[in-house]
Amino acid sequence: MSAILRWSLPALVVAGCVGYLIYSASGASAEYYVTVSELRMHPTAGDVRVAGVVQDDVRKSDGGLRVTFTEKDGTASMPVDYAGTLPDIFKPGITVVVEGKLDGDGVFHAWTLLAKCPSRFSTQPYTQ
Amino acid sequence: MILAYLGAGALLAGLVLGGFSAMLSFFAGWRQTTVFIQVGRRAFYAATVMTVLAAAVLELALLTHDFSLVYVTEHTDLSTPLALVAAGFYGGQEGSLLYWTLILGVLGTASLVAAGSLGDRVLAYATGILATILSFFLFVLAVVASPFELLSLTPPDGLGLNPVLRDGGMLIHPPVVLAGFAAFAIPFAFACAALLAGRADAAWIRHTRRFALLAWSLQTAGLLLGMWWAYHVLGWGGYWGWDPVENVALMPWLATTAYLHSSQVQERRGRLRTWNLGLVILAFLLVVFGTFIVRSGVVPSVHTFAISAIGPWFLAFLFACLVFSVALVAIRSGTSSEGDGRAVPVASREGAFVLQNLLLIGVIAVVMWGTVLPLVSGMLGAERVVGAPYYERAAGPLFAALLALLAIGPLLPWRHAGRATVRALRWPAAGAAITLVVLLVLGVRSWSALIGLPLAAGAASTAISEFGRALLRRPQVLVRRRRRYGAYLAHMGLVVVVAGIAASHVWQQEKDVTLQPGGSAAVGGYTLTYAGAEQRDLGDHTEYVAAMRFGDQTLEPARATYAGLGGQALTHVAISTTPAADLYVVLAATNEDGSATFRIFVNPLVAWIWAGGAVIIVGVVLGNVGETSPMPELARRRSPVTLPA
Repeated sequence: MSAILRWSLPALVVAGCVGYLIYSASGASAEYYVTVSELRMHPTAGDVRVAGVVQDDVRKSDGGLRVTFTEKDGTASMPVDYAGTLPDIFKPGITVVVEGKLDGDGVFHAWTLLAKCPSRFSTQPYTQ
Repeated sequence: MILAYLGAGALLAGLVLGGFSAMLSFFAGWRQTTVFIQVGRRAFYAATVMTVLAAAVLELALLTHDFSLVYVTEHTDLSTPLALVAAGFYGGQEGSLLYWTLILGVLGTASLVAAGSLGDRVLAYATGILATILSFFLFVLAVVASPFELLSLTPPDGLGLNPVLRDGGMLIHPPVVLAGFAAFAIPFAFACAALLAGRADAAWIRHTRRFALLAWSLQTAGLLLGMWWAYHVLGWGGYWGWDPVENVALMPWLATTAYLHSSQVQERRGRLRTWNLGLVILAFLLVVFGTFIVRSGVVPSVHTFAISAIGPWFLAFLFACLVFSVALVAIRSGTSSEGDGRAVPVASREGAFVLQNLLLIGVIAVVMWGTVLPLVSGMLGAERVVGAPYYERAAGPLFAALLALLAIGPLLPWRHAGRATVRALRWPAAGAAITLVVLLVLGVRSWSALIGLPLAAGAASTAISEFGRALLRRPQVLVRRRRRYGAYLAHMGLVVVVAGIAASHVWQQEKDVTLQPGGSAAVGGYTLTYAGAEQRDLGDHTEYVAAMRFGDQTLEPARATYAGLGGQALTHVAISTTPAADLYVVLAATNEDGSATFRIFVNPLVAWIWAGGAVIIVGVVLGNVGETSPMPELARRRSPVTLPA
């Protein structure tokens, strides 16, 4: 029996398993990555990640571990309620990605908040 | 100013020399002209010298605070400590590319110098491929993303290094991981050279393997240092986030891990030659792919470099490398069958290696899909992303199967497994069974712990029983066959890492507390008392330091503020490490009423990850220093083996 024939069965089994694992895992845990206006246009019940800019109305409570603010992009905005530690560079004006759920009350309840800085590896480009 | 011209000139000279070396070497390999082969090689050395010169100039510009250079201004300032100013060399896009090019040139030169007996044609083609890669990088540096660009007005001070990077980790992680990336080009060059020349001998295998080992070791150290740095700096109590930037560093490491195992089948049994070449080529393609992903910003990541114009160039380079190597493998391997016509048997050592390879490639596929999903789904419509749960669900079972192989594979004999093999498996089986029972008795009900830890114990039992057998019978084989026992040591290190990952993952505890000075909180058996806070002025930044007492120790989580950088804040985590667990305290916020809010983690066995990682590297280094690999199949043949057979 040639090498290719003898190994084709185990290789197919492994490939099939890998394919199934990728398919089922990404089906179960992939989230949509949208902007605020996209979410406003197509409200989804599931978990999503939403990118937008933090507005000036940041309010902290609970010893700084709970924060509410408005997230906005060009055309739409939504209130965000987040509990957890904030990234160091969090402040009004930066772009953040929040992961969570838009509830019936119109408030986005986030469980993760990432600051999407243009670059972690350089500071602002020098402008004269 | 003069430094900028000198540096840019050196890059251009290097580019010309590199291009000359590439063309001449390919021509010389084709025509087998000895003189041209030597000239081509020396042109490569000269291009390397020019790269070294450019790197030295950039470093000098940084250390002398020559703010006429955009790069120096954007990545350092007068208040940055000197060691970090020096590290600014690889702290930004352009400089890190130059650093990469430098390592490529130096390691390429070393590989060509050390390749004396490989045969002229292989050497000529390897020089040509290395020179082509070097020229591509020098072209990007000279034309697209030059670190020597000038400002029209020289500012009095620079913008400074991003505070997140002002850390000891900056001094060790980036240079190691970038050197690892650069080193993958060497085995790739020699693999393609062997395919082009149509032949390779035992010396070629040893040479390629040696540089694959070097790249792999650097990458192992780079990954571990990156995990350690993220754990100490980022403040979320974790060391691995399945971020695209982390993923693209992991994938070439996985491919090379596969190669280091399957190349033994080639050494011992003369099989899998084309397969091995494919793995070496795959590792390099994954490096180029990763560089494209990381540097172009096409995939959202928390570690993204500045988005710049180099993305399309790297994409073009990736396609060129892909087409070149796929065509090469297809043309050169399509004409003949593998080995002596007999198949690699499934139940044997070589069968275990092949299965391990398939599983590792499966893991690469999982990681690759998770990394490119935003890109692919974005092109097809709605952009979708996956997080850690995807990777755990999809790669977890594959890692479990790999652990099982780690327990069984080393006990399987070459060629064919029989009844004796089944008897040999009693040690890992016993180790796994005992661990499972102990975990169940202790009340552990987490599936990942109940599957992962017994399999890890089985793998440890295999390695320990092999060591025990050697010590009882003939202790001298530990030295004489050090590659084998070094590998067992590395396996044990891996088991320790797995135990650390599993424990810190399954049993991590986390609590948020707000405390007035004098107040206490209890987390996972630790009682912490907040003693108060103070302000410290540390030159380029001020720190608000909180004192947390537990037992006779004081932990000092802090928040730093960099006035020179628009008041950017940075959290300093405080960690108390014991072999059993890390107590990890983050100062989350300070409040107006004098209280402070802390996020406290108890992370079990995290120290095992670092210790186990060190054992892996020690095992691999000890096992291969001064080692002459056992190659009965190839040593028997005096004439070079035709490739691929």
